[in-house]
Amino acid sequence: MSELAPDARLRLAPGCRLNESGSAEDLLLIPEGALRLKGPARAIVELCTGDRAVREIVEELQRRFGAENSERIESETMTLLARLRDRGALESI
Amino acid sequence: MKYQPRALIAEITHRCPLHCVYCSNPLEMQRRSLEISTADWASIFEQAAEMGVLQLHLTGGEPLARQDLIDLVRAGRAARLYLNLITSAVGLDETRMDALIDAGLDHIQLSFQDIEEAPANEFAGTRSHALKLRMAEMIRRRRIGFTLNMVIHRENLARLPEMIAFAEQSGAQRVEIAHVQYYGWALRNQAALLPSREQVDRSVEIVEGARERLKGRLRIDFVLPDYYAKYPKPCMNGWGHQQMLIDPAGRVLPCHAAGVIPGLEFANAREHPLRWIWEHSPAFNRFRDESWMPEPCRSCERRTRDFGGCRCQAFLLTGDASATDPVCTLAPRHDVVEKVLNHANNGAKPNWVYRIDPA
Repeated sequence: MSELAPDARLRLAPGCRLNESGSAEDLLLIPEGALRLKGPARAIVELCTGDRAVREIVEELQRRFGAENSERIESETMTLLARLRDRGALESI
Repeated sequence: MKYQPRALIAEITHRCPLHCVYCSNPLEMQRRSLEISTADWASIFEQAAEMGVLQLHLTGGEPLARQDLIDLVRAGRAARLYLNLITSAVGLDETRMDALIDAGLDHIQLSFQDIEEAPANEFAGTRSHALKLRMAEMIRRRRIGFTLNMVIHRENLARLPEMIAFAEQSGAQRVEIAHVQYYGWALRNQAALLPSREQVDRSVEIVEGARERLKGRLRIDFVLPDYYAKYPKPCMNGWGHQQMLIDPAGRVLPCHAAGVIPGLEFANAREHPLRWIWEHSPAFNRFRDESWMPEPCRSCERRTRDFGGCRCQAFLLTGDASATDPVCTLAPRHDVVEKVLNHANNGAKPNWVYRIDPA
């Protein structure tokens, strides 16, 4: 997995989308199948609209989920986003 | 239910303007007059989504041959399914493409027979290559999931590097490089299609090199010819485990080839609820668990990974659908595959046999 730049702007790649909210499970639908999104992963992917830098997404999540966990939020968010980018589900713009 | 369906392959018509020498449709195709209606399909999509199916693959034949294709896409999206169109692009134009995207199409998979025009048209049995190139360019200008599908075999493997180079600049996010699988019409032309061991080994090297080089830019899915494998493929990830296929007349099958197996009756989605067909119909349960398995599968530690291989291939090559897939080097009837491979590595190439469209 390669490093993700904090100023990268990510959005869902063509052919990838979230399933309807409120479904039995949170899924990221991709051409080859579906990726299961656990915990806050759906909320993180929803922030990838291309108009925020990864750094700003982390800040937004830290605001939402509490500053006491800020380091963990940062590392887990970066890991998730880098993985989805490597998988081809997110693209840099 | 232990088995959760995830994908529905909808063969909405067997009509097709192409006559590929390796067509995977069954030898006996469903006629136009037997094709089920838009409303029938819409009900099927609803039922499938209700059962937890996520993906709908619209295929054929050529799905564009159905005039109601846009309505079918709309119906699939209304049922909250992920919509993939598997096509030759013959019958596509700018207006129809935009209408498909507006209707909710998520992804398009465009097939190529070769990268050079003359052989591409020869394998397709029709002049379609130039049009496909134009359509690829048109798709690239739109924001939609795009996969190229390159079918490879003995007569075009020499151009694999050029095919990958084309995929690289096509705008596709993904390319599927698939060695021909020997079902349907492909089995008829097997002696002309099956590559030599040397060609297969070379294709593996080329694809591995390209994967490394194109990492992060183009995903490459690679399907090897199972005749050269040591163990069988986990066909459909198990009979009735994750996928179902519905033919143009509404028959529900575990895969595109299962119709060849004698003694199986495939229920029709117009006559039975889809859930009943998946869970209870005898055909879907016939090879689902391990009770049908002969030795050496029954005591093989790989049985939970490859499920004894492909039932259709077992039938096509040995006459017994309950036999171990003969591509397995442990199979009692592996000799039939060895004989074919021997010919492919030493024999002369016969002429193509072309198929014609259903009435």
